[in-house]
Amino acid sequence: MKVFPYPRLRGTVSLRVDAARVKAPEQPREQLDSRARSVVERVVALGLAETENWETATLTVSATIPSKATERGSPWSDVAVVVVLADRATNTRVTSMLAPESEGGREWRGELQVLRADLFDRATMMVQVVATVDGVPGRIIAEGVDDWIVDVRSDAPTREQAFDVKEVGFAKGPRWLQQFTDAPWIVNAAGALPTVHINTDFEGMTDILGAEGRGPEGLVNEIMVAQMAADVWIAVFHSAVGDLEIEDDGTPLFPHGWQGEVLREMLPDVVPERTLEDALCEVHSRRVGVTGWTELQPRIQYAAMRRAEVPRVFLETARGLDKLKREDEA
Amino acid sequence: MSLGGDSFGPRLSQHMKEVGMGDAQLAELLGVTPSLVAAWLDERSVPSAEMSSQIHRVLGVSGAPGSGAFGELKQEIEQSVDGSQPIWYHRPGHADGGRELGNAAAFAFDADLSVLARETCQNSLDERLIANGRPVRVCYTLHELTGETLARFREAIQWEALFPHYEAAAAQEQKVGRVIDAGLRDMQERDRIVLLRVDDYNAAGLTGDDYDDGRFAAVVRRQLDSHKSGGSAGGSYGLGKATLWATSRLGLVLMNSTLSEPHEGRTERRLIGRLDLPWRQVDGKAWAGPAWLGRPDVGSAGPAVARSWWADEETVEALHLKRESDEPGTSFLIVAAHDVASLVDDNAAPEGDEGEDDDSIQRMHHRLVRALGRNFWAAMTGGGNQLPLLEASVRTLRNGAVILAEERVDPTITQPSRTRALKAFLDGTTVEQLTESGQVAASIVPLNLPVRGSGRASLGEHRAVLLVTDAEDADGKPNRVVAIRGNRMTVRDSSISGLPLSVNPFQAVLLTGDAAGADAPFATEAEEFLRAAEPPEHNKWGQTEELTLAYSPSAYRRINSLTRETNAAIKRLVVRPKRHSKEGGGRLTPKLTVGAGNKRPRLLAATLPVLEELDARVLDDGAWQVTGEIRIPAGGHNWRLVPVAKFDVRSGPRPTIAWAELLGVDNCQVVEGTLHFDAARTATFMGITDPTTHAVRTSLSGLVVELRTGEGESLS
Repeated sequence: MKVFPYPRLRGTVSLRVDAARVKAPEQPREQLDSRARSVVERVVALGLAETENWETATLTVSATIPSKATERGSPWSDVAVVVVLADRATNTRVTSMLAPESEGGREWRGELQVLRADLFDRATMMVQVVATVDGVPGRIIAEGVDDWIVDVRSDAPTREQAFDVKEVGFAKGPRWLQQFTDAPWIVNAAGALPTVHINTDFEGMTDILGAEGRGPEGLVNEIMVAQMAADVWIAVFHSAVGDLEIEDDGTPLFPHGWQGEVLREMLPDVVPERTLEDALCEVHSRRVGVTGWTELQPRIQYAAMRRAEVPRVFLETARGLDKLKREDEA
Repeated sequence: MSLGGDSFGPRLSQHMKEVGMGDAQLAELLGVTPSLVAAWLDERSVPSAEMSSQIHRVLGVSGAPGSGAFGELKQEIEQSVDGSQPIWYHRPGHADGGRELGNAAAFAFDADLSVLARETCQNSLDERLIANGRPVRVCYTLHELTGETLARFREAIQWEALFPHYEAAAAQEQKVGRVIDAGLRDMQERDRIVLLRVDDYNAAGLTGDDYDDGRFAAVVRRQLDSHKSGGSAGGSYGLGKATLWATSRLGLVLMNSTLSEPHEGRTERRLIGRLDLPWRQVDGKAWAGPAWLGRPDVGSAGPAVARSWWADEETVEALHLKRESDEPGTSFLIVAAHDVASLVDDNAAPEGDEGEDDDSIQRMHHRLVRALGRNFWAAMTGGGNQLPLLEASVRTLRNGAVILAEERVDPTITQPSRTRALKAFLDGTTVEQLTESGQVAASIVPLNLPVRGSGRASLGEHRAVLLVTDAEDADGKPNRVVAIRGNRMTVRDSSISGLPLSVNPFQAVLLTGDAAGADAPFATEAEEFLRAAEPPEHNKWGQTEELTLAYSPSAYRRINSLTRETNAAIKRLVVRPKRHSKEGGGRLTPKLTVGAGNKRPRLLAATLPVLEELDARVLDDGAWQVTGEIRIPAGGHNWRLVPVAKFDVRSGPRPTIAWAELLGVDNCQVVEGTLHFDAARTATFMGITDPTTHAVRTSLSGLVVELRTGEGESLS
């Protein structure tokens, strides 16, 4: 819980992206279709732009703040509304001042320009209300509740991120995969996005992976996919928990990007009955501490299995097999 | 009018009826040719001075024959004709003993103010005077009368004469009887009555003869007669007017009309009242049901039929029927208006400072404004070189004093995004694809029209206009399409099936028929076709008897296809094309996603104490003094928690602050920096930070206080 040594503004501050356009040098600028932004998920997908190699993107944004901020007799003066775009991967921070739209001072509008080169993939954008309080200028008196994501790669404005799945023949593939020619799949959770490499050279792999329906192949496919997913979730959990930023007193911070999402989704199963922050603390202290890391492994496995829906798939497979057997006998 | 006769003819004719004299008889008595009398009656000529005094004598017009000038005769005939008092004429019981215990048409609708607003406003729109291009102005006035004012009004409507009829009707154990009974009791016990007046200006008014085809007869004398001015009219059943009587608990509606075309040579203050009561027996005589307040019509077949009369300003004032200006149009005065729907409308928050009961005028006022905004935003929208078709306002009075000032219904407030869409269409500023919020995308939706009366053949393709724009909060439910036709009547408000949840909220408007613009092909035919597909409520399109009879039994399929095309066009505009799944992976890919939000409901720590409230202030030495309130769930007092204080930072690790002092205030003790709770549901602790461990000046940063599980807590 946060407290501040000066009066803050109560009420909701909201942010909207009203339009987005991109520009490449010596080309006309391209206004993106409204489908490139999702008001529901609060994401702008600049990957939808048709302009190749665009260099700058301009977002038209508007914010609504409580009218109290600009009312006469409020403790705040010189109220300004700024929108802040930050990419933690590149440590970029771009801000832009909005201008009041109406007399009441509730609606503010402006543009934010960002260079493509400054962003890696996803940047977050939020709104802050800044004012002079008690003679101290530039204090944040309110912040937007929900942030927006500006995704420069994706062509779909969704918060959801999918891990990569690559079908590749290991024998003739990249050198590092050649050592795994006898493995049907390999999960690599290092790098920007975890990737599952599926060995198409492995006998029967392509058939089983493409199989569908309630026949024996379909059942095998289901259980194999669940098994692969469980592998992935174990790998990504370890990867996410292995590289945490630590505060002075040893408290770990939630990472950003997919690592943070993985932890948020799996921690309640790994360390139940605790808040997320507490759970992360627990896991971290066990990992770097003297004892407890080995004992935690079953819980990680359990969380991964649940996330991959292994229990459900296993039950369905068992029942499906049973049914097939009965059909054979009939 | 010719020869300055100025409506002498009709009045002479009326007077002759009253004294029971025919044209031929008068000619004979005066010794002139019947054609001369006919010329007077048709206003082709006026009687000479000598003839005037003759007529004076023969007809027995009151007053002295005097100098015999035509002017005098005219004045006296006028006085004689217009001077007689209006009376209540009750239709006698049917000779065959049949009884009508209510008006079935009134039951076609709920006695609901929003229905009344919809029907009356639509009628006014349909009767708009188109030639001058100005909007029809509809004004709703709620007027509560009490005490002396009520008494005067009762006198004006001759309450004494009506009361026995009401008593008889109220005594009946039928639905209509009970409603009347409630109305009577409300008036007697609470000494109040609510008048709802619906005025329209720049409309046709109740023109036409008292009995023959025309607007007057359609409204006043007939049921299920839809007399409409144009092809783009909204109504078609002739049921809408029944809502006027249904809204009155006493079944009583008075009318004052200023006509757009003179009748009997006059236009202003044509008055009539109509009472809808069930069959009843009063003074030993049976009465069929309806009654009219008017001037006795001696010329009519029956003995004492009442007809409309041209009233003087005094009468109009007394009946609360005075119109604001001489612009043509009609005022309907609904006596004892009530609103059934508001009784169940629980969620309507009380508005206004006076305690509002169910039938309170304030509440009715707000409901009217809302209903008008919801149903007529389109007609109230103008753009380009077009004025809006309609202006509507509501005001509320009590005994003549203003309670709620006149409120003009503003469509940009009640329906911001739909109004924006229509305005952009009228202004011609629509776009093909939406890029910026606030834009309006337009697209064409075809409607294949069948040939009237002949099976499957197609007449041609009507091009309806679909408008899509971002939704605003004030519009109500998002992702809907509103279909409009004719003079911008909202017919259908429907959701769109198969829409993904991820679309940006939008509102769509489908303009069909005449609403689709002047250059839309087959607009008139589309109007006819769609109107035939509407039920009496005019709230959807589908299979109706009329559609089957006028077109073919399968004609409704063309409407289904219009719906399908509309939904497809909307989806083309708002739905994102499906993302092509990444190469390979089969069914694995969808299982490997993160960040989709709460996919599974998570069990929150059920017993972990939570920091509920934090109170902090900065002490003089720069230290923070905090008081934290902790909520302890049942069974949670065994947890050992450590309060941790840190400076708030933008990102990255937060500098930790040490406690100089930490103590339990209520239900907890501090043991080596850890809180130990008593078996209670809340606990309070107090802490003071150590300023020497502050990384920045206290006044320049926020403070974060959290509860951490202490050492020694572990998974078992």
